[in-house]
Amino acid sequence: MSKPNDLVQGTLDLLLLKILALEPLHGWAISLRLKSISGDVLQVSEGSLYPALHKLEQEGWITAEWKQTENNRRAKFYSLTRVGKKQLESEAANWQRLSSAISQVVRLEEA
Amino acid sequence: MRPQHWQYTIPLRLRSLFRRSNVEQELSEELQFHLENKIEEGIARGLSPKEARYAALRAMGGLEQRKEEIRDMRGIGWLTDFFDDARFAIRSLRRTPGLTAFVAITLALGIGMTSATFSMVDGLIFRPYPVPHPGNVVSLVSTTHDSPYDSFSYREYLDIRDKTNSYAGVVASAAMEAVGFSAEPGTTPRIKGGTMVSGNYFQVLGVEPRLGRGFREDEDQVPGRDPVVVLGSDFWRHEFAGDESVLGKTILLNGTKFTVIGVAPDSFPGMSTFGHPDFYMPLAMAPVFTTNLQKNFFEDRDDRELSVKARLKPGATLEQARNEFAVLAKNFEREYPSVNRGRSAAVYTQFQARTIEDENWKFGVIFLILALAVLLVACTNVAGLLLSRSRARAREIAVRLALGAGRFRLIRLLLTESLILATFGGLAGIAIGYGVVEWFHSKESIVFATELPMAIPFHMDKRVLLACVALSVLSALLCGLAPALQSTRVDLVNALKSADVDVPGRKRLWGRNMLVVAQVSMSLMLLTASFLMARGFQHDLMEGHAFTKDHLLMTSFDPRLIQYNAGQTQQFYKLLAERMRETPGVQSEALTQNVPLGNDDFEDVAFVPEGFQMPPDRANFNATMDTIDEGYFETLGIPILRGRAFLSSDTPDSTRVAIVNEHFAKHYWPGGDAVGKHIRLDSSAGTPVEIVGVAQTIKTQNMADPADFVYMPLAQHPVARMVLMLHTSGDPLQLVQPVKDVVRSLDSNLPMLQTRAYQDFYLNQAVRGPRIAIDLVGSMGLVGLLLAVAGLYGLVAYNVSRRTREIGIRIALGAASSNVLRLVLGKGLVLVGIGMVAGLAMGFALEQLMNSMLFNSGGVDILAYAVVVPTMFLVTMLAAYVPARRATKIAPTQALRYE
Repeated sequence: MSKPNDLVQGTLDLLLLKILALEPLHGWAISLRLKSISGDVLQVSEGSLYPALHKLEQEGWITAEWKQTENNRRAKFYSLTRVGKKQLESEAANWQRLSSAISQVVRLEEA
Repeated sequence: MRPQHWQYTIPLRLRSLFRRSNVEQELSEELQFHLENKIEEGIARGLSPKEARYAALRAMGGLEQRKEEIRDMRGIGWLTDFFDDARFAIRSLRRTPGLTAFVAITLALGIGMTSATFSMVDGLIFRPYPVPHPGNVVSLVSTTHDSPYDSFSYREYLDIRDKTNSYAGVVASAAMEAVGFSAEPGTTPRIKGGTMVSGNYFQVLGVEPRLGRGFREDEDQVPGRDPVVVLGSDFWRHEFAGDESVLGKTILLNGTKFTVIGVAPDSFPGMSTFGHPDFYMPLAMAPVFTTNLQKNFFEDRDDRELSVKARLKPGATLEQARNEFAVLAKNFEREYPSVNRGRSAAVYTQFQARTIEDENWKFGVIFLILALAVLLVACTNVAGLLLSRSRARAREIAVRLALGAGRFRLIRLLLTESLILATFGGLAGIAIGYGVVEWFHSKESIVFATELPMAIPFHMDKRVLLACVALSVLSALLCGLAPALQSTRVDLVNALKSADVDVPGRKRLWGRNMLVVAQVSMSLMLLTASFLMARGFQHDLMEGHAFTKDHLLMTSFDPRLIQYNAGQTQQFYKLLAERMRETPGVQSEALTQNVPLGNDDFEDVAFVPEGFQMPPDRANFNATMDTIDEGYFETLGIPILRGRAFLSSDTPDSTRVAIVNEHFAKHYWPGGDAVGKHIRLDSSAGTPVEIVGVAQTIKTQNMADPADFVYMPLAQHPVARMVLMLHTSGDPLQLVQPVKDVVRSLDSNLPMLQTRAYQDFYLNQAVRGPRIAIDLVGSMGLVGLLLAVAGLYGLVAYNVSRRTREIGIRIALGAASSNVLRLVLGKGLVLVGIGMVAGLAMGFALEQLMNSMLFNSGGVDILAYAVVVPTMFLVTMLAAYVPARRATKIAPTQALRYE
């Protein structure tokens, strides 16, 4: 398995929040979704995924519920809370600012 | 990382705490689900089920560690860890019940003793006044050469109240005194304790009566006009069964009708440490209660009976108040030179007031120091035990460290253990503390031989309990920290080896050695202290107790209870004395204001020896005095060294006479004869009194050195309350009925108070009272010794067990018993020696402290050391010898098999 790119913890939070904003998912589905949307570029390891999910839950940005999957198996589904939505918006805005700043520097012509 | 939304996070955290098994199960399920999906994905990609499983597990990098990381996210890690540790600690403590019990008891003894003595010091010094904002209540006192804590007179109080600006209010109260109380007219009055207070007392102090109201200022204006009384809450409950209709009721105090206008709240037992008044009367009613028939309470500026307190105004500082007061005192001195010469004044905070007023607190402090020593011994004992215990667990600790536990985490685990131990010890210690305080309370009747409502102020209240808790935590840290630190600094390789390796090295046992030295020295100090205290009291007993104590009956009278005036009182006593002298069985009779070592206060007499030039800063000298009749010296067997005793010819009309004791005579006329000299009362222009006799010095007050003493005849110095003493050849209690008959013949209404054999009373004062202190200190000394002995025994036994193999080899190689003994005992002896030297030094320091605080005997008590040191040495040697001897009996084959 290829090593995932280095993901800063803060950006992982942003990604997870955004994915859950689209629809409630369980942990496995989240990792699949992330891989597919990013075209296999972003692969989060289990070692980072679950601690991050639990931390988001502790913060109150996502909430969890045990439901049946399509295969009739029990899984823990996470969904975004109202407060989480606000957090997502603020983190997305931060990311925008940060990434455009970085792009500006990188785009500078070398002398 | 502050949670944004409490409604989500709080239930989560609570759930993590209290539904842990559920949460754990869910976590496993969640990860299991993920794992299964990954395996399926692997299979879908073409791997075999087994390969897929391996790949998935590898990718997930160890399920347990993932779980641990997730748990860390929960944010309550330290709390769950603590519960885990506690549960583990309790389990492992249960496996060694003997050790656990011993440690808990040891700590309990230390904590219990310390908390009990802390309750003493708290009750005597620190407990704040039971009023709102006690911090700005100060005591105003008069100071002289002889006394740093003297009272004020009524006139002086009025001046202080009206002429000072630093206070929101100034109150005055008289000392609690015996008052004859009847709930209904016609019933025999009983003695109760009442305190006169100024009209603004309750209002300035901020005491809200529980029922009715306090005094109004105008009720204290006109002498004799407003006979109102406020009851104390305890008294109200006992006498009136808490009946609220008591308001407005009329009661009789010293025969005068008083109306009950209020009841003090439970929270206010009075401002005094020991006395809790049954009721409060206004100062204006003083003539009903006054004891001093010689002076006018309202007019005489030198009738000093009032204790004055005040509340500082907001914004006023203590410094300002002191300066202002000093100026006022100077003014008094200027305006009233005859009575205020050499008198200054001071403002004391509560702490100063309590420590300057009397000496009881010094005992409390000494006891506290000793109790802390016991606690220290207990802690060192426990630390030693924990240390050896952690040695035994070296393997377990090494394994934990090897598995990746952080050192800090392990220290937390070990400290949790000592915390649990300290909790048990603390709880038991609180029980012991209660027990000791209750024991004190049971001795109240010995300490206070009086009808007045006095109580020992030691209580296990909130402050003391808080101190207990703090002590327990502190002891846990003290006992547990060093062993925890040391045992986690383990060389993993060595510890994991199966053999119990004894790593040679000097630093190794340093900690334990220190513990033994500390124990031995503390224990020696404790033993020395108890010995010194016992000797001090005994020494006190020897001096000045050469008077008759046995075959004496004593009983008190107070004719004010039946409203006798001064003339009737004198007549009563005259007839009483006459009739008692004629009664068969009575060898001699005496009347005295207060018996030797009595609890009532002796009066003071201010005088100027005739012809003396008083220095400019004082108006007179002071001495304690007693009012007696002609039979006193004979009845008590006190020899008259020069001159004569009082005679019936000393009457109100004849020359004023007095008798002084030898101490007084030597003080003022050294080398000369006091008989025939004169003293003038109050000032050099006062009434002349001729000295007609010199009596042998006896100790009149407990725990005080013999001092100047003056006796005056009852006929010339009328006093209301007197004690009758009768000497008989047989059992003094046989005389009770004859006395009753005589008293009844004189007046059937007059009660006899405090009737008992003087010997009983004397034993209580001189022997049983000090006994209490000696018992307390003695038990502390014993506990300290036992603990030190146990500690030493434990150390040597532990040493032997650790070096069993080595000793076995030595014996196999031919070592004799004496060699083995020397090997095992050698270090121990050295430690004991060091400990005893240290203990001697501390004991010596303590002796100086005790001398300065208590006994004034000065010097070094050699006998004490001569007894204590060898005893201690013998006992500790025995403690070390027993396990050492076992070492010599080690069979080499057995020892070598010990693997």
